[in-house]
Amino acid sequence: MQKPTRGFEAEGTVTECLRNATFTVELENGHQVLAHISGKMRKNYIKVELHDRVVVELSPYDLTRGRIRFRYRT
Amino acid sequence: MDPVRFGTNPVVITKAADMRWHAVDDGRVAGRAEAWYRPDGRLFLSIDSWHDAVFGQLAEAALADLPRPLYTMVDEADTDLASHWTRAGFTTRRRELEYLVPTDPRVTGLGSAQPPPDVMIVAAGDADEDLLRLLARQIHDEVEAAIGWREMPAEMLPRPAGSVVADPSRYAVASRSGRYVGLLRMSSLTRLPRIGLIAVLSSQQRRGIARALLAQTLESLHHSGISAVSAEVGESNQAGTELFDGIGGRRIGTSLELELRSPGNARAPQGA
Repeated sequence: MQKPTRGFEAEGTVTECLRNATFTVELENGHQVLAHISGKMRKNYIKVELHDRVVVELSPYDLTRGRIRFRYRT
Repeated sequence: MDPVRFGTNPVVITKAADMRWHAVDDGRVAGRAEAWYRPDGRLFLSIDSWHDAVFGQLAEAALADLPRPLYTMVDEADTDLASHWTRAGFTTRRRELEYLVPTDPRVTGLGSAQPPPDVMIVAAGDADEDLLRLLARQIHDEVEAAIGWREMPAEMLPRPAGSVVADPSRYAVASRSGRYVGLLRMSSLTRLPRIGLIAVLSSQQRRGIARALLAQTLESLHHSGISAVSAEVGESNQAGTELFDGIGGRRIGTSLELELRSPGNARAPQGA
């Protein structure tokens, strides 16, 4: 059985922290996505702040949506 | 629950590994669920999905397989996600307040906070490792015997088996007559450092030692050019909330720890 494909991942910077636990992330190509924190990061208490460098998995259904999967230490 | 369908084929839930599930939609991962045991022995579940209906499907598969009780974390502001978990039967077990704490002594008012005359504050990086490990073990045991670590904001740190100190250089300590009686751990030294733990032996509490530890650490960070740190305090920890409220800490968010108990042990929902 073929392994299912995950969403495309990209690095970016958090440019806005929105009220409903979502973030605007600007990717390196200038594209902006609206992203939530992944459940795994929440379980591990990893916080995301303005200007953090992050890895975002983009939704295969809507490239303006994403999920923050990793935060770099800055 | 009827399988969700976005394209030609319905979304299929597959077990990718032990305690890990994928929702697959025409070869794409439409969501995933993963469970994981914390060092305290509790089982936490997370679910990420791109569609609300897929969340429900993943929850159904994971909950059918996993024992109870089960836990998860959610940001209180994320009302959509909280309601997904509520629909899956989870209820709020505890709330945890997130603070943004200034470091400037002129703002915190901690400039004049001195330890008691018989206590000395040892800066992070200067603590004796053996004494520190002894204190950390004593505090660990005291907390476990009192409220238990389950009631403390839990931070997952990789550490050697059996050890309660992951990185001794992160600890400032309070020393009294050659014995350590209190500690403050900075858990991450990123652009926004985080206070991981402040604790004082029960026999030495109410003497201003926690304030003195905080004063020394925050002032040191202030001189390094760091203007604020973050900290989390359980809502029921009155001493903790008073401490951070009293030094100008600003509440910037709330995390909810949700719990799914076995049917015979259900508790009344608290509003998640």
